[in-house]
Amino acid sequence: MAGTDPIHQFNIIKYFTFATVGGDGTPGSGVELAFTNSALFMALVLALVSGYLILSTQGRGLVPGRLQLVSEMFYEFIANTVRSSAGTEGMRFFPFVFTLFAFLLVGNLFGIVPYFFTITSHVIIAAALALLVMAIVIVYGFMRNGFGFFKLFVPSGIPAPILVIVVPIEILSFISRPLSLSLRLFGNMLAGHIVLKVFAGFVVMLSGAGFLGIIGAILPLGMTIALTALELLVAALQAFVFTILTCVYLNDAIHPGH
Amino acid sequence: MGRAFRFAAEFVAAIIAGGLIGYGIDWLAGTTPWAMIVLLLLGFAAGVLNVMRAAAEMNSDVADSATTGSVPDDDDED
Repeated sequence: MAGTDPIHQFNIIKYFTFATVGGDGTPGSGVELAFTNSALFMALVLALVSGYLILSTQGRGLVPGRLQLVSEMFYEFIANTVRSSAGTEGMRFFPFVFTLFAFLLVGNLFGIVPYFFTITSHVIIAAALALLVMAIVIVYGFMRNGFGFFKLFVPSGIPAPILVIVVPIEILSFISRPLSLSLRLFGNMLAGHIVLKVFAGFVVMLSGAGFLGIIGAILPLGMTIALTALELLVAALQAFVFTILTCVYLNDAIHPGH
Repeated sequence: MGRAFRFAAEFVAAIIAGGLIGYGIDWLAGTTPWAMIVLLLLGFAAGVLNVMRAAAEMNSDVADSATTGSVPDDDDED
């Protein structure tokens, strides 16, 4: 049943190995740095996004063509998101937020294409991106506010005895952010693709059971089509949610103390 | 569905973070299981706080779009 195994699609395949870090030379020791299918699709996403943006902005027409219009809409959309949740000052993070959104959106949508690897369905990708966001929030927060950044953990107008309880809660709430950010993205992509594969597997199994089976296979086939549409929505929505939460957290770094 | 999943993720993440940090403190200080119990409860509180914040944020987003209407933003000065 290798053809209908719903987890098989998440396998990491090593194409070739660059180098081995550490270990004692024997096979299987140390950390292998390999070019995997995940790395291949990350490179493809980057190539597609940057290629498209470079190509579509070549003309720089005052009246944009169709390709340029899409790029401009993309820009306007992210710029408005950043401005509305992190203020005008948040625009200095625009390149980062735009890159993040483009990478996640195209990476998620790539996952819908059959035989394509879904890079965001691995928690390490989502966690690395979430930790990058939190690192930027912490570093920029301290750079801009110094120790005033700690005001983030001390809500104003609360009597001192209650602060003993509130401050640890606020700190935990802050620590849980990268966790919820990465778990949500990875969970949605993983669960969606497994459900899609399971229903598609029903079609294969039923159609193997003769004429009646083929008639019955119409039901899961319809479900698969509906789920594909839903997955398209989820892919775009999760990329957007990740982006808007990044903006909200960046806003905390710019203006700590609620 | 996205909204419900967001609340769930915010809530669960805080509890997991609390539990893991508590377990780590216990492991370092050898005070099993006290730090984990305390931090799990704090994580629970932090989860409720997260959900309240997320809900407030969403409500303000809805209010914003309701007051400004569906007119597209046309500021292109920068």
